[in-house]
Amino acid sequence: MNQISKLQIVEISVPDIGDFRDVPVIEILAKAGASVGVDDTLVVLESDKATIDVPSPFAGIVKEVRVKLGDRVSQGSALILLEAGAAPDVVAVAPVPAPIPVAAEPVAVPAAAFAPAVEAPPAFSPAPAGALPHASPSIRRFARELGVDLHKLRGSAAKGRIQKSDILEFVKKTIAENAAAAGAGAGLDLLPWPQIDFGKFGPVERASLSKIKKISAGNLSRNSIIIPHVTNFDEADVTALEQFRLDMNKEREKSGEKLTMLAFMIKAAVAALRTHPNFNASLDGEELVLKRYFHIGFAADTPNGLVVPVIKDADKKGLTAIAAEAGELAGQARAGKLKPGDMQGGCFTISSLGGIGGKGFTPIINAPEVAILGAARAKMTPVWDGEKFQPRLIMPVSLSWDHRVIDGAEAARFLVTFTSLLGDFRRVSL
Amino acid sequence: MSGSHAELLVIGAGPGGYTAAFRAADLGKKVVLVDRRLTLGGVCLNVGCIPSKALLHAAKTIKDAAAMLGHGVKFGPPAIDLDELRGWKTGVVGRLTGGLADLARRRNVTVVNGQAYFRSANSVTVTSAAGAEQNISYDQAIIAAGSEPVSLPFMPQGDPRLIDSTGALALQSIPARLLVIGGGIIGLEMGTVYEALGTRVTVVELMEQLIPGADKDLVAPLHKRLAGQFEKILLKTKIIGVEARDDGLLAQFEGPDGVSSALFDQVLVAVGRKANGRLVGAEAAGVTVAANGTIAVDQQMRTNIPHIFAVGDVVGQPMLAHKATCEAKVAAEVACGHNAAFEARVIPSVAYTDPEIAWVGLTETEAKREGIAYEKGVFPWAASGRSLLLGRDEGFTKLLFDKTTRRLLGAGIVGPSAGDLIAEAALAIEMGADDADIGMTVHPHPTLSETIGLAAESYSGVLTDLMPRQLETRKV
Repeated sequence: MNQISKLQIVEISVPDIGDFRDVPVIEILAKAGASVGVDDTLVVLESDKATIDVPSPFAGIVKEVRVKLGDRVSQGSALILLEAGAAPDVVAVAPVPAPIPVAAEPVAVPAAAFAPAVEAPPAFSPAPAGALPHASPSIRRFARELGVDLHKLRGSAAKGRIQKSDILEFVKKTIAENAAAAGAGAGLDLLPWPQIDFGKFGPVERASLSKIKKISAGNLSRNSIIIPHVTNFDEADVTALEQFRLDMNKEREKSGEKLTMLAFMIKAAVAALRTHPNFNASLDGEELVLKRYFHIGFAADTPNGLVVPVIKDADKKGLTAIAAEAGELAGQARAGKLKPGDMQGGCFTISSLGGIGGKGFTPIINAPEVAILGAARAKMTPVWDGEKFQPRLIMPVSLSWDHRVIDGAEAARFLVTFTSLLGDFRRVSL
Repeated sequence: MSGSHAELLVIGAGPGGYTAAFRAADLGKKVVLVDRRLTLGGVCLNVGCIPSKALLHAAKTIKDAAAMLGHGVKFGPPAIDLDELRGWKTGVVGRLTGGLADLARRRNVTVVNGQAYFRSANSVTVTSAAGAEQNISYDQAIIAAGSEPVSLPFMPQGDPRLIDSTGALALQSIPARLLVIGGGIIGLEMGTVYEALGTRVTVVELMEQLIPGADKDLVAPLHKRLAGQFEKILLKTKIIGVEARDDGLLAQFEGPDGVSSALFDQVLVAVGRKANGRLVGAEAAGVTVAANGTIAVDQQMRTNIPHIFAVGDVVGQPMLAHKATCEAKVAAEVACGHNAAFEARVIPSVAYTDPEIAWVGLTETEAKREGIAYEKGVFPWAASGRSLLLGRDEGFTKLLFDKTTRRLLGAGIVGPSAGDLIAEAALAIEMGADDADIGMTVHPHPTLSETIGLAAESYSGVLTDLMPRQLETRKV
């Protein structure tokens, strides 16, 4: 690993941001000519449910900003040229190749040569033909006029050369497929959204949706419309569990380690998923992807809307660790500092409104997961034990599941497993 | 001040401008074409490609005649009538620019003479040489304002012995000693002309080879021949000063061997060209113009102002007429509502020196710099009958192929008529042809064009005109 020597120009590119590609640049803090310190935010990207700050790996002077607001970038996309001063550990930042003496003012260079090929802008330099569609200029023009991406076809002529007829076939096929899909009822054919002049009925104000809400809106609508949701309801007797939780917290008061009901639910969910592997799955066309890992998401309420951080490998973590990690992730979520990786890879989601109230609700599945568990407020309830009423702490739970993957009986069994785990937590270790 | 309106206003009547104007007119637009020159054709026709090639033809004729001396055809030494030579050159230029004027008239393209300057995003003022002004408003505009030679600030200003390419082409006199600053295409072409007319030519170049954009092996035969003709070729050398004296221009050089100086009758500055974006005040229309005078455009040749396009030298390198005409058609078609885009994969470059050097697409220098996997097929012209009949054996044809797909990625040719030969390679690249496609295309014999087929065969390992050195490594 090279140390950056004094005053070297370095290119700062998008770091590892998980699986996201083509995420938009929503804020540019770096300005050409301005100096920045290590870890100063240079640009802000937005991916799925989070904004991502790209910090400066070095202190130095910004030479050039290579992106505009709204540009879409992926890992490795160039963002900033920085004239780095003495810099700390340099990792994964490639120095810009020695500049070709072209951008310089020609006047400053006596006897500079007239050299078209050297000075050609990148747009005109040839890419390796192997990466390009095998199509002649006239075919490329025809494809552009029809909006056909030639990378998506393989030509029928010798050596895969794309002919005009290949493009026509591709277009016909695409139209036919779309028509068939529409005929098959994929189009929803909904009424237009009602246009109301609310002002007629009384004073109104307008506020824009937060970015998180805008993004969740699309995801939730899709999930709600496409997935055939069914929701089952049940109750868990958490009297003993809650007592255990309170006892433990009291016992460990000094260390500050706190157990939460959520941590128990996450652990119980892992055990239930082991018993019912179809719930730890995703639908991929006509195949089920069964996961052999246990990453559990939980809904976190933030001032800007709902996000779902994920506890990775919850099966390998203890209750204390899970409670601590969930607390930390929720804190980051409220601060808007969650990284995209923190919200990826979930197998199953728990949405707990127990801290707030309510008797039960029907959560929307967080696709491509196939089920989500909702927990409402636990309440001391008289329960008949065969001889008399006992005061028991009862927590209502609901389970929304994807009927394409799961059937009612399986769902009922899953809930029985889950509630009996909470009823007697020793079962988790079975 | 009068006013008129154009559906499409084209500024500059060089190859980019007149092509854009004519194409748009053919698509039904009412076009106004503005140029500061009295004749159409811009730098290319008036003071660039065409007159330089006329003079290069004269130079080649002189050399060819001399070359037959030992082959049974003897000519006397050439008698140069400078006025007649200049008149012939001017006649060829006049015939071409006159032809353009006629084409403009028949297309109902309104030609306005004068310097255009943007007033707003929808109007320009055109000032004629006599100072008369007129405003022209427009719906859309195409900026094809070209470029002009870069001048060197430390030169004695206003000295008539200090010339640029335009001055060199004017052919006012034949200096005894000429210094050419800049060993690029333009400098070497003009040096070639003047050397053939009897001038002792010195070329000075900052980089470590002549024509720095071309692969070094392509330049080597040219360098060797010029070294025997020119007085001196100074590489890695810069000019640190030129002093105007009564008996000539004293130039000071700084090169690998230190500082030296020499006296010249004329000095030609050919260090590149500068885009004319500032000259037309494009900023007044909201168009962003870079510090070096270029205007950035997208693939549809639109500037940052969507109804204003830019084509040709003014959008930057490569500053070549054939790039400008291709861009011009795109701009005109997009302005007329077509979904066109500049999608040419390659733009050929040619030095019309003797031997000519031409290249297109990937160069070996680029391939090595960017780590592109390529393989090459080479055919030396020493094995070409046609080349030997021309009295020349130093040329060669080099083809670069994609290692995986075997498609042609680039080509370089050095030798007489290389510029005419390179077009086949450009077509092959655009069509995605591979070595077998090129080698199995029957090339006429005996021609220089055969060398392209033979270079492809050499790569395929099926060449019979030389010993099959590559058969072991390259089986078909």
